[in-house]
Amino acid sequence: MGLPIPHSKLGMWLFLATEIMFFSAFIGAYIVLRAGSPGWPTDAKVTHIHVWAGGLNTFVLILSSYFVVIALEGMKAENFAKARRYLCLTLLLACVFLSIKAYEYSGKFEHDILPGHIPETPQMAIDKSMREMKQVVDNRTIALANTKLPEKAEPTNPEETVELSGVTDEKTKEIETPVEELRKQLQTEVEAPDTSAARKKELTTYFALETKYRGLNKRALDESITMPEMNQELETLKKNPEYGAFLAPVHHLQPIIYGNLFASVYFLLTGFHALHVVIGMLLFLIVLVRGKRLCKKWNDYVENIGLYWHFVDLVWIFLFPLIYIL
Amino acid sequence: MSESESHSYVKYSTIFFALCICTVLSIIFDVLDLKDKDVAGIQGFVLLAFLVLAVACAKALFVLIYFMHLKFEGKWKYVLLSPTIILAMGLTIAMTPDIGIHYYTNESPQIDYLKQAQQASSEENSANKAENSHVK
Repeated sequence: MGLPIPHSKLGMWLFLATEIMFFSAFIGAYIVLRAGSPGWPTDAKVTHIHVWAGGLNTFVLILSSYFVVIALEGMKAENFAKARRYLCLTLLLACVFLSIKAYEYSGKFEHDILPGHIPETPQMAIDKSMREMKQVVDNRTIALANTKLPEKAEPTNPEETVELSGVTDEKTKEIETPVEELRKQLQTEVEAPDTSAARKKELTTYFALETKYRGLNKRALDESITMPEMNQELETLKKNPEYGAFLAPVHHLQPIIYGNLFASVYFLLTGFHALHVVIGMLLFLIVLVRGKRLCKKWNDYVENIGLYWHFVDLVWIFLFPLIYIL
Repeated sequence: MSESESHSYVKYSTIFFALCICTVLSIIFDVLDLKDKDVAGIQGFVLLAFLVLAVACAKALFVLIYFMHLKFEGKWKYVLLSPTIILAMGLTIAMTPDIGIHYYTNESPQIDYLKQAQQASSEENSANKAENSHVK
């Protein structure tokens, strides 16, 4: 009675069946959302998705899958040294896969392609750049006040002011006051005759930046500035020898239609896949730490983690065309 | 034993090369840049989607049948996998009418902006064309 396969293998197959459902929910959601969103971002210059990286990762996973079957063959032929060698290589390839993935993720972080961070229209892009610039100016205010008046800078929470910037009702005014107060202190300081020359220079630079911000923000609020103009202005400001360096956190304005949905789906799919890769690596490590004690008893284990690893490969086989090519 | 072993060994490497060729094929389809072209009356995007997903299915079958040894397993594989695959496809199909294909007018700021951008680019194109013809 029963199936002519080990229980552990049946368990693994049942688990993989649930995994198919798990990933097809995400992949299906992606396909459907994508079909329903005209103008989905596909330009590599905008999304920073590179076919070469995806293709290379596909090759890495296919090769690792191949190594796993060779390792299993080694196990079955009781050639445990060979099995260990190929399992080691698989683990190494998994590391390569994750490194390429990490490189891709770092590109996304650098360009702020993160769910909820992406402006989808030019106006949103302008608003975002002003928010980022306000943060720069506020941080500078606090930093400058701190060097002189550490105890007074304490009550200000920079995050709070940034989050509420752009909106000016009674409530936000109350919260913004501390930064505003610090600014006034700096104003009196720069006008005071006993301020040292170095400090004065620092403060005038800060006020130059602050004035620029106010000017740009006013134009942004009046909607009298277009996105290319704003990009131009920011580029010029970034080249300024005195305060240009402070503006590094302000991103180049690049609205992406459906960019947030795209980023959510991208990170969800590739993130869960990467998580599976990490778990697979742990499973390989469990058998590799046996070292020379590896024996016939581990045949089923190696076969089962092999099945799991092939499934991880399988998911990537579908993710590659869906995310990188289409 | 050794004969069958070496036999399957060769087969595995063949499968590996087949998978590599499939990957290269997908990349070639990408490089061909079919998206905006019209091939034999079929929309380029639809053709590209069909081609790369067909290649992906072929790869998936290679992995399932040979690497995961489904070719050599008993009938239980059908019992286990067919409901899963049917349900997985059913899920996607079930979501399509409401989200994938809007039966209502789809209104969102993104679409407004898309229309503006498309209009601007078409105007720019026609302006460029006029300029080019003038130069010629």
